[in-house]
Formats: sequence, structure tokens, C-alpha cells
Amino acid sequence: MPPEPGTPRAAREQGPNPDASAVRFEHVSKRYPGSGVDAVSDLDFEVPAGEICVLVGPSGCGKTTALRMVNRTVEMSSGEITIGGRSVREGDPARLRREIGYVIQQIGLFPHRTIADNIATVPRLLGWDKGRIASRVEELIGLIGLDPEMADRYPAQLSGGQQQRVGVARALAVDPPVMLMDEPFGAIDPINRSRLQNEFLRLQAELGKTILFVTHDVDEAIKMGDRVAVLKKGGHLAQYATPTELLMEPADDFVEDFVGADRALKRLALMRVRDVDLWTAPVAMAGDPTGPVRQALFSAEVPHAILTDRDNRPLGWLSARDLAAERVPELPDSIADPVLDADSVLRDGLAALLQGSSHYAPVVDRRGALTGVLSVEIISDFLASDEAAEPDHGAADRPLA
Amino acid sequence: MPEPATALSTLTAHGLLPLAEVSSDFFRDRSGGGCIEENKLFCPGWVADNWDRYVDPTLQHLVLVGSAVAAGFLIAFAMAILAHRNRWLATPFLAGTGVLYTIPSIAFFFLLLPITGRGALTAIIALTAFNLQIIFRNITTGLRNVPPGVTNAARGIGLTPSQMLWQVELPLALPEIIAGLRIATVSTVALATLAVFANGGGLGTEIVVGANITFKTGIIVAGSLAILMAILFDGLLLIGGRLLSPWQRAALS
Repeated sequence: MPPEPGTPRAAREQGPNPDASAVRFEHVSKRYPGSGVDAVSDLDFEVPAGEICVLVGPSGCGKTTALRMVNRTVEMSSGEITIGGRSVREGDPARLRREIGYVIQQIGLFPHRTIADNIATVPRLLGWDKGRIASRVEELIGLIGLDPEMADRYPAQLSGGQQQRVGVARALAVDPPVMLMDEPFGAIDPINRSRLQNEFLRLQAELGKTILFVTHDVDEAIKMGDRVAVLKKGGHLAQYATPTELLMEPADDFVEDFVGADRALKRLALMRVRDVDLWTAPVAMAGDPTGPVRQALFSAEVPHAILTDRDNRPLGWLSARDLAAERVPELPDSIADPVLDADSVLRDGLAALLQGSSHYAPVVDRRGALTGVLSVEIISDFLASDEAAEPDHGAADRPLA
Repeated sequence: MPEPATALSTLTAHGLLPLAEVSSDFFRDRSGGGCIEENKLFCPGWVADNWDRYVDPTLQHLVLVGSAVAAGFLIAFAMAILAHRNRWLATPFLAGTGVLYTIPSIAFFFLLLPITGRGALTAIIALTAFNLQIIFRNITTGLRNVPPGVTNAARGIGLTPSQMLWQVELPLALPEIIAGLRIATVSTVALATLAVFANGGGLGTEIVVGANITFKTGIIVAGSLAILMAILFDGLLLIGGRLLSPWQRAALS
């Protein structure tokens, strides 16, 4: 995510939440009574503490079953699941579930309870005192960016997106080390879904929970996951890898097919413009002599010069006609459009280049100062290189598409 | 003026129908005006003079309805909870209460006479049995209509089955439960007028008195009191239900 001058990134740099716990599947299988085949078959992988693991696959691949075995809303047939080394099978399931956040697609807020009461559900089950509950509810309503006066409303009075935020707040109420999210944004329209995803990643950067996240949408998996577990029919794990590895080296035809023919393009959503080596272009300010600029063009990476202002902000491209004059003119032949933000993702950069039907786009930093030039060639070189295979991009560090 | 109806006289003769004494005092109408003599349908003067006749039957009627609905609710509620936990019970429960619902009340009274004797208890048992089906069906429907997402979430965040029932499922089923109680109560108010055939008292006694003579004002008064009682109970349940489920109006606004 963009390094906001504030908490999230700083928090992320402290590493994962020390209270988070790793979740480990050990040869877990599930066969429903009366069924001849396994719904989940010999799942064996570990979600490291503080990471988001996305379970993705076509319908009927057992991803929801796998998720629900963690909080024992579905009981596994064989194998073992541990949270922080402790088996989920120890003790009472209801008690276990109170220590695991749970968010589902249908949201499942209690229609007869106010927003505040919904969020307070688990703290009440755990017998917190009133003052502690009230201050926690207030804190969470702030955390999810809801207007405090919404606290006394009923779920039906909120929009779908707001309800889903409340669902997340309810799951976070007792600060559980592990969260299970079953297609949490599946019923939200695409625009709001993207917003909620970004909000959630920002939140996760702060909270560092261990999260198991189920989706059928591979784009969502790539966006949200530190790791992605691709499941195929019968609940077999087809691949467990970082999003980049998944896109670079799909384990088999199934994964390759599932990830999609456009997987190369998908990788562009994983990198920001400032992460690639940009080209440099000769720059000049109005009134400069044109001679040296023309000279510089011979050896420059970008065969066009950029007119900048005093603060190095790009104003436009200087054409051959502009440079034919004695001095650099104040108004260039073509204005600088598009201009790219260094924080934007490569995919958006490519889209801007294609849309502007230009080969090059100046890239600027937060203050608007020129930092380099992005070209279509840079992007195609990037796709051909192994650079995208660097596996160390946590979701929270990742650009928000 | 007073003409005995033969069928009713026969019942009375066999001791099955306790007819209130119709004394000459019955036709007292201090306001005069010849309303009774002209045998008009409704004589307000007579009502003014005789309203005290209706106090006890009304109170008895309240007891009949109150007990039958309360007992019916408790039994149907227990059955609905059992059927909710063990789905297979729903069908036999529905069939059983269905049979009780269909038995004509008067037949039920007479069937019970050898067991519970003549009196309010017999009437209350029959009325309760009649209520079970309506209330059971509504509680069951209400519990079944709780959105699966809500129960899934409730279970997933750690509510035990009984917490789920009392904190989530029953509150959400409340509108349907109240609707069932309203139907049951209104039907029982009407049916309880038959309690007189089991010697169970209630407004039915005054209706039977009226049935035996051509003077009809008494029937109109007793019937109106029953209607008023039904409206009153219905309104109280409606208001009570609204107060207990404020989220419902929030959903509409």
C-alpha cells in the first residue's frame, strides 16, 4: 500500500502481530456422511502468523468446508488443525469460535440488534464489563470508519458496504488472533468491493491478524493474499504459493487455467511504477538554450525532451519544432498527458499509456516532481524478466489496485 | 313473550345445558317506552338497567380465554422448541395438533365430560387443544424463517445452541409468534362462548338465555362484549409485539 504518513506502514514494519498465531492444516480430510467422495482431501499446509492466506478454487472445491473446519462449524473427518500449536479439537467448540473472528458473505448481522449491540456480541459472551464493551465498540466503529451515530441504528438501515464493515468489526471485537472470512465481499458491487478490499488491507497492515480468506475470484485472491491456496475439485490442494509465484509458475494445467490466460497482465497489478527501473529523458526549462538539449537527445533513453517548471514538474513534451528555435519555448507543442503517479500500479500505467496512445509517460512523485519516464517497453521487459518473481511482497506492502 | 325453544329445552331436560333462570325480573326496563313490549331488536333502556348481569360472565370469559391461550402457548411453545431441535418431530406434532384443531368444540366438551366433569376446566382443555395448532405452526414458521446467514454467523462467532435460540432465533421469530397468538386469541374469544355447553360460564351463558326467548337485546350485548374483548386482546398483542420488535419498523423506514 502507499506509505501513508501515519500508522499503517509503520505498524507493518514492526512485523506481524506478536499475538497472531500460525494456523496449520495437517493431512486434513472431510467426507460428508452419505457421500462417496471427500469434500476436502489431505490438506496439508501452514498459514504463518500475521499473514492472509486465500483459499481459492471453483465451486465444489471444498474451500468453504476447509475454512469451516478451523472453527469446527464443520468437523473434520481425519487429520488435525492447530492454531498456535494447539489443536482446535481441544475443548468446547463455542469457546473456540469466540476466539476466532468469523465473517461471511451473507454478513449475518442480527437484524434485531443495533449496530453497537451486534459488535458487542462476543465481548458479552465472554462476560466483559459494560464500560469495557462500550469503549471497545466505540473504538471499532471508528476503526471501520463508520459515523458514531450509526451505533444505535439497526442493520437494515445501513448500506450493504456499511453492513459488511460492521460484520468485520463484530469479528474483530475481542481482537482474535485468527480470522476466517468466507467470501466476505462477494455480495458487494464491484466498486464498493474494491474499496472494502483496500480498507481491509489497510486495516490488516495495522492489525496483523492471521487470516484465512475464501473466494472464488482469482483476482481477489491475488490482491488479498500473502499466500494463495488453489484448491481443485475434491478438495485437493493444487498449489500453495505467493501470488507472484502463482502467476509466474503455475504448478499444473489446472492452476494455469484457473489463474487465467491473462496471468502475465495480472502480475502488473502486483507492482508499482516506482518499483521498476524508469527511463530518463532530457529535461529543459523555458528559456534554456536548445543546443544542449538537442545534443542530449542523441544519447538519451527517451528520444523526446520534457519541458519542466522550476520545481521539476513536467509541463509537456518538446517537439523537434520546439527545439528548432534558439531557446526553449514557454508553451510546448504537446502537453504532458498522461502523467503517472509513482505509486500507481504498472497495470494502470499501461492502461494510461494505451489510452493516451503515447509510448512514454512522465512519472512524478508525491510533490509532482519528475522522477523518470515509463514506456511500453519497460513494461514488456518487466513481464519478460524474472523480477516479478520476487516472492517477498506481503499483501499489506502491495499496491492497492 | 318468553317462548321456550324445543331443542334447547330438550338439552336442558337432559341436564346438558344449564339455563340461567329467566325471572320476571329479567324484563325490567325502568326507562319504559314500550321497547320490550314492541319486541325491538335492541333496547338501550334495558341494557342500562341490566348491565350488571354481564359482569360475571365477562370475567369468566376473560379467565377462559386467558387460561386457554396461556396454556396453549406454553404447550405449543415447548412442542415447537422440541421440533426445532429434532426436526423429525415436526410432522407428527403438526398432524396431532391438526386433529385437535379439527374436532368440533362441542363434541370435545361432551367427550371430556366423563373425564373432567362439567365446568370451566373442561372448556379450557378443549379451547387449549384448539389453540395448539395455530400457535405451534406460527412458532415453527417463525423459527424456520430466520435467515440462514444469521444462524450461520451466530454459530460461527460462538453462540451455543441455547444462546442462539433465546438471543437470536426466538427474537427474530417474534413477529410470527405474535401473529399466531393474535389469531388464536381472537378465535378463542369467539369459541369460548360455547363453554356454556360444558357449564363453563362465560358470555355464552347470556347468549343461550337470549336464544331461548324472542327478546334479542341480551344476545346483542353479550356478542358485542365478546367482539370488544377480541379487539382489545388483538390490539394489546399488536402493540406488545411492536414494542418488543423495534427493529421491524427500522427496517421499513
